[in-house]
Amino acid sequence: MRGVWRAARAAVRRRRLQTLVIALVTLTSTAATVVALGLLDAASAPFDKAFGRQRGPHVTAVFDPAKVSAPQLARAARQPGVAAAAGPYAQATVELPDGAMNFGLGTQITVVGRAGPDGPVDRLDLWAGRWATRPGEVVLNRQSDWTPDDLGKRLPMSSGGPELTVVGFAFDLSRTADAWVAPRQIDALEPTATQMLFRFPDASSEDRLRAQLGTVTERLPADALTASRTYLTLKHQVSSSARAYTPYLMAFGILGIAVAVLIVANVVSGAVISGFRHIGVLKALGFTPGQVVAVYLTMISVPAVVGCALGTLLGNVLARPFFEFVFMGPDAGVLHDDVSVAAWVNAVTLLGMPAVCVLAALAPALRAHGMSAARAISAGSAPRVGRALGIQRRLAGSRLPRSVSLGMGLPFARPGRSVLTLAAVVLGVTTVTFATGLATTMDRFGNAGRDAYQVTVYASSFRHGKEIEPQHDDRELDTLLRELPGAGEVTARASVDVRLTGSAHQVTLEGRRGDRLRLDGVLTDGRWMRASGEIVAGSAFLRQNGVRVGERVSLEKGGRAERVLVVGEFMESNARVVLSDWPTLTALAPAERPIAYHVALRDGADPAAYARAARAADTGVTPDVRGSNSVTQTIVGSASALTLMLAAVAALGVFNTAVLNTRDRRRDLGMLKSIGMTPRQVTAMTVTSMAVLGALGSLLGIPLGMAGYELVIPRMADAVDITLPPWMTDVWRAPALTGLALTGLLIAVLGAYVPARRAARLTIGEVLRSE
Amino acid sequence: MTVEDSSGEVVVRLDGVHKEYGETTALAGVSLEIRAGEAVAVMGPSGCGKSTLLNMIAGLDRPTGGTVVVHGENVGELSEKGLALYRRRRIGMIFQFFNLIDDLSALDNVALAAQLTGTPARQARRRALELFDELGIGHRRNAYPAVLSGGERQRVAVARALMNRPALLLADEPTGALDSRSGEQVMDLLLDLNQIGQTLILVTHDEHLARRCASRLVEFADGRVTGEHTLEPSA
Repeated sequence: MRGVWRAARAAVRRRRLQTLVIALVTLTSTAATVVALGLLDAASAPFDKAFGRQRGPHVTAVFDPAKVSAPQLARAARQPGVAAAAGPYAQATVELPDGAMNFGLGTQITVVGRAGPDGPVDRLDLWAGRWATRPGEVVLNRQSDWTPDDLGKRLPMSSGGPELTVVGFAFDLSRTADAWVAPRQIDALEPTATQMLFRFPDASSEDRLRAQLGTVTERLPADALTASRTYLTLKHQVSSSARAYTPYLMAFGILGIAVAVLIVANVVSGAVISGFRHIGVLKALGFTPGQVVAVYLTMISVPAVVGCALGTLLGNVLARPFFEFVFMGPDAGVLHDDVSVAAWVNAVTLLGMPAVCVLAALAPALRAHGMSAARAISAGSAPRVGRALGIQRRLAGSRLPRSVSLGMGLPFARPGRSVLTLAAVVLGVTTVTFATGLATTMDRFGNAGRDAYQVTVYASSFRHGKEIEPQHDDRELDTLLRELPGAGEVTARASVDVRLTGSAHQVTLEGRRGDRLRLDGVLTDGRWMRASGEIVAGSAFLRQNGVRVGERVSLEKGGRAERVLVVGEFMESNARVVLSDWPTLTALAPAERPIAYHVALRDGADPAAYARAARAADTGVTPDVRGSNSVTQTIVGSASALTLMLAAVAALGVFNTAVLNTRDRRRDLGMLKSIGMTPRQVTAMTVTSMAVLGALGSLLGIPLGMAGYELVIPRMADAVDITLPPWMTDVWRAPALTGLALTGLLIAVLGAYVPARRAARLTIGEVLRSE
Repeated sequence: MTVEDSSGEVVVRLDGVHKEYGETTALAGVSLEIRAGEAVAVMGPSGCGKSTLLNMIAGLDRPTGGTVVVHGENVGELSEKGLALYRRRRIGMIFQFFNLIDDLSALDNVALAAQLTGTPARQARRRALELFDELGIGHRRNAYPAVLSGGERQRVAVARALMNRPALLLADEPTGALDSRSGEQVMDLLLDLNQIGQTLILVTHDEHLARRCASRLVEFADGRVTGEHTLEPSA
């Protein structure tokens, strides 16, 4: 065994470059695999994972305390059909005063009296501050993107209730309450209900959950249960943005793993094949076939294991900011401190990648196992039967410079290695193509209507938790904003909640007045409204209500009703939103005033300067300069990062092949230089040999990338109930395709250049003498 | 077959040439002159620096000291590209183990040398065919190296070396990997080439080869020239 270890160690030392390449390739491939598998894991069920970690309630049930007592509810929760339960918790509905700072919770909030954030069900993520333990304290349900600077601020109650101090922020994915207070505090808020949280053994469907809840409550007084909600409803609402990410992350995850495994297999098997001569020498020295295999597996395993271990670390380091970037958006359904690579991903990569390496090495090593010493020794030096001779002959007779035609023939001499390298380039090009299409669409999506306005002026502002009204009325404000330096177009906007006749759905009717009624909306069907009584509806609204463009619907508000014609569909994932002109809105809500004015500036005007001027003109308004689209940036940024990573891995694969090829052909290179091949010709030949694979990789990878795009983009749009207009998805134009066609070449040339330069610098005397 | 430089002028001049590989001295101050049309055999024990000497003249390696001047060009001062062009124009090299490219036919192996200079494929193949016929292996032009005998491979290698009409033909143990019959054939070939004016430097262990093909014998040991003899033409 000592001999095996000594021979393996000597082989590792002698082949420093190859060892370095194996370590580097396994390192980058493992890092890519960790990120890719982590993405697959995170994208597969973000809600389920976060919900499971919080042990969220399958059913949130609200009871009437006048009809059922807390001990009765506690007894019911101990029945055999209940997996776990929390409560009873006293629950109050609290009105917050108009104009007071409400921390984004709305004007009517649900407050629950609870002793702590933990428990058998609904374990809250207390991400800032502490739990409310004394009267006068409150913990608010906010996600971790809320500012913790609000700790210590006061939450005023209308109707003479106590003013509470915010002592903590906790995130509850299940939304069982907007705020929590200590049980001793809740009585002061006059609770009107009792909350119970249940987990059941079978949470597979709404019907099953309802049936199990029925069993639990059947012995309770009639009408004691006043309301209940299952987690399935919540799941649909919460995870829509994560659903949008899922298809694209899945695509990248699968591509990443495929590229990584291919490259590792190529590098490792190539290393063993190129060592056949050494294997023959070992056998001649008296090593048994088993020992020879052991030497080679050890020689491969040392750098592979080091690369895998470092790659796993690197993958985790890269994944964390990446996941935060992707998953911490609003409604992504991911908890604070919960964006990390799953343990199983680390375990699989730490064990799996070395296993891939060993398997890749095993096949050629076993071939060497059965090979006679003489044959193995001669594998490196004796003339071998030429390969792809017809191609070589045609190339030799072609008009191409001989260094180029020689290079073009090289991949055919090692078809197995070339196919593996080609596959890696194909996947690299597929990734780049897919990412280019995705980024183009997302860029168009994110920038659609960006020129519609640069500044939004909200018709209110807050100071010291109190709302300040503008000093000017609606018309004065409109005129004022038009007269400020730089103003181009001004469009006022107001929203009012109305009801769709014959439906339980709430509808947000957004009325617009001014220069550009469509604002930044993107029409996908029909036309924009031109007259009173016409609306343009969002894609999601039309889908979820079964309404089509050209149909009439009735909208109600209070005692008023308006029959309106749907004249167009615009790209909108909020299923409640429809757009109209100002008269249509005021016909239903005559007193409604604009909540915001959107200002398009003249060319060259500075949005920040305009915002300052607006604020100075009326301290009751809040100007907001339009920023970039963060969702678009997230997708484009993450896609670019992943693409670069996979392209780099593919280029490393090419690098390795070029290194192995130049090693195998040292004798030929020496001879070619001895008959007058210049260093530039050697470089051209070596780079050409890989460029052939690059060009072929582009030919195959571009259609695959396009197919991936066609598969993923519609699913992303469907996930958020929007229809993308054709101009957003028509991304495959000649310049883009030309650029993509160069991608494979670029990957190949980048990967081949360094080994080519090394080959060009070979000292002929040494090469030919060693042969 | 035509060759250049049969005027008897000095075509190779080595002056105090040193070559070290790390701590090993391969050449220790070699000085030597070779005239056009000469056939010089360099003999000596293994590892004495014979092949290194040949590599210096061929521009395959650079001296660490002294000068190697071939046809007025100081080989050690040439750039990498300059060396490549020098080898192309001036040198034909024959190796012990032939160094043919396995994936190319015999004809394409030979034509390659001319194609690297930019000669069109058709013209290069025509010239290669002429050489094949002159060397008596025309019938093997389409064969691949793996199916050629040792002698045939070496003849292909000689054809390749002559392809660009070199001023100097350098042979490193040209019969070392051949059986005696093939070795004899290659010797005859080298002798014929020299007799029509081809300057020839050959490195060999084989005294029979040296005496048969060379007009001058340079003895070499420990990286130094230890003796020089003029040889009588063999019968």
